[in-house]
Amino acid sequence: MSERPPDTRRAFFAMLTAGLGALTAAIAIVPGLGLLAAPLRRAIIRGAGQPLRVAAAEDVKPEKPIRVTAVGEVQDAWQRLDHVTVGSCWLVRATEGAPIRAFSTVCPHLGCGIDWNEKTGNFDCPCHNSSFDLHGRCLSGPSPRGLDELDVSADGHEVLVRYQRFRTGSTKKEPIG
Amino acid sequence: MNTGPVPILQPRPSADRSRPVVPARDWRTSLRIWLEERLGLAGIQNAIMGGTMPGGASLWHTLGSVAAGLFVVEAVTGIFLALFYAPSAQTAWASVAYIQDQLPFGWFVRGLHSFGSSALIVVAGLHLLQVLLFGAYRRPREGNWILGLALFGLTALFALSGYLLPFDQKGYWAKLVEATITGSAPVVGGAVQQVVQGGTAFGNLTVTHAFAAHALLLPAAFAVVTALHVYLYRKHGPTPKWSLTPEQLLARTEPAFPYQTVRNAGVGLFVLSIVICAVASRHGAPLESPADPTSSYLARPEWYALPLFQLRMYFEGPLEIVATMIIPGVVGSLLLALPFLDRAPSNHPGVRRRVMAAAVLGLVALGALSAIAVARDAHDPAYAKGRAEEETRAHTARLLAQKGMPPEGGLAVFRNDPLNHARDIWDQRCSGCHGLVGAGGDKGPDFKDYDSRAWIRGFLENPEGPLFMGTAKIDKGMKSVPGTPEELDALAEMVYAETGAPDADPAKVARGRGLIDQKDCDSCHESDGEGENAGPNLKGRGSLAWVEAVISDAGQGRLYGEKNKMPKFAGKLTPSEIEDLARFVLAQKTGR
Repeated sequence: MSERPPDTRRAFFAMLTAGLGALTAAIAIVPGLGLLAAPLRRAIIRGAGQPLRVAAAEDVKPEKPIRVTAVGEVQDAWQRLDHVTVGSCWLVRATEGAPIRAFSTVCPHLGCGIDWNEKTGNFDCPCHNSSFDLHGRCLSGPSPRGLDELDVSADGHEVLVRYQRFRTGSTKKEPIG
Repeated sequence: MNTGPVPILQPRPSADRSRPVVPARDWRTSLRIWLEERLGLAGIQNAIMGGTMPGGASLWHTLGSVAAGLFVVEAVTGIFLALFYAPSAQTAWASVAYIQDQLPFGWFVRGLHSFGSSALIVVAGLHLLQVLLFGAYRRPREGNWILGLALFGLTALFALSGYLLPFDQKGYWAKLVEATITGSAPVVGGAVQQVVQGGTAFGNLTVTHAFAAHALLLPAAFAVVTALHVYLYRKHGPTPKWSLTPEQLLARTEPAFPYQTVRNAGVGLFVLSIVICAVASRHGAPLESPADPTSSYLARPEWYALPLFQLRMYFEGPLEIVATMIIPGVVGSLLLALPFLDRAPSNHPGVRRRVMAAAVLGLVALGALSAIAVARDAHDPAYAKGRAEEETRAHTARLLAQKGMPPEGGLAVFRNDPLNHARDIWDQRCSGCHGLVGAGGDKGPDFKDYDSRAWIRGFLENPEGPLFMGTAKIDKGMKSVPGTPEELDALAEMVYAETGAPDADPAKVARGRGLIDQKDCDSCHESDGEGENAGPNLKGRGSLAWVEAVISDAGQGRLYGEKNKMPKFAGKLTPSEIEDLARFVLAQKTGR
């Protein structure tokens, strides 16, 4: 191999310095990005989605929605919690004898907690004033869709709800997690 | 007087227009000039890797930069780990086990961080030796020598604080010993220990303190001292090899960039690849079982602290402080004072014989102490046994952690073990009537050593004894079996064989079967597995299925029938809970 002229050698070493340095940086950073991306590929909080007992059927009276919490087992990253609040929902019986329906208390707009307004007989969001009727339909306000209905099943006299969360701020009801 | 229009609004010539016209440049040059005008990057680059290398670039001079590079790798991997680590006594081990065993690349990032710190200590040590050899600590570089020692001390503190963070056995015990040593220091020791560990005992604050020191305080201190170290290095320049004459120094001088930097980057990557090999071959850094303050763990420090650990062996009782404080203190002070003690006329190692001799002696001492410590453990069967037990325990704990950690964290991971889960059920449902420790139950048999030959033999001798059916107060229960010891042994062996024990003696079993009729056992006990009588059917008595059947419903005809007083647990416990419980009862057998 012939002697390179100094300028080429210098430029080559400069490139090599940058290259080796970049490789070192990549070794430190790239696996860490894999770690960082882990929550994109798997649910970090798991356990929702099971039917959970929330109330006795006779406690749900017509036009008197009650707010109930679903308590169940959750796995949060490394931890398993056997008895924690998974979420809460409104149980609604529109008329005497009508089936019980469950609506998530999470406002589909930006996720605030929906409240029952006894005076108007509507569900109101305390943050941005979205309003929903007893069937969960959006009456007014910025909410992009009606209240998110949850699957309800009965076990004898008990009401079971399959609690789920949905993406907020979109017109489509998309489950998350 | 000038009454003409005042040229206020006339645009001033811009900076560009005032410049001489330059020939068209390519976009890279333009971009560089554009950035340079605004950010002064060349100045930064010059501050970090400018200057010249008198006598030329060399591998000798790579060590400081490699140490700095490794520190950056530690910082980057450390930030990624901190994104997933939760510092508290309950969550530390659990979150590290999660990083290590459940997150993709978690083991690699953690391994890089852990083995990288070892590499950093090695490279920093080599850097210190190179500075000693070259006489680079001498006038006017005394300040930089002291800053370098400070960085070495900070590195040691990084290692000490980082070691505790997983809160596993190794970290807990190593740190406990170090904390106790700190506490033994005169006057302030106790106070320092309490502040560092956040109280009089190890707990949540010990972990949060160690984490804050490791991830906030020490990095800030290290960054400041490193900046000063680099500043003084750039001010004084590198110390060339002693053998070069002034003419040679001039003739061979090269700019540090890129001739020295390319060597730095090359050696750095070489060291990093060794680290990666270590990480890959060990599948990341070790993680032992959760800290257990009640265990008798064979505590050993990490390799770099082994010499101090061994030194302590030679100073007992009140003299211990010689090994823990006085010798390290004297060595540290001598190192700090070295530039002021060394009055040699040149950098040549030949005229600094005493310094060189002390350095060699120190290295030999460190090596010898480590070797003795390693050799002693290597020949100690108790140490090997302790290590093997810990490895099994760690393996079990990490598998159980993947089922999800109980909120109490740490040792509570073992509750995920079916037997431990069964223990909880036992405590709630069974312990009211039954005993487990040989002290008898309140209303039923004690299961200490249940189903062993000794337990069965004891039952046959005195079924209504306090350890057996006595406390149940069964109406017309079983009476003591009369017979010679040999006969009772044979009967016990026969019953023992029904448990499914593989080590039953067939000859004795046959002899026992022959005695059934003679001892009138069969007037109360059937042995076909189906038949009902006053006492339980002997077929398969004490097997897993049999114990499960008893727990489910001991009042079945082939079991205790109408004489039964034990509640039925079928329906109250799930079949898998009953199975776990049966295994738990059978696991009480420790004897033969």
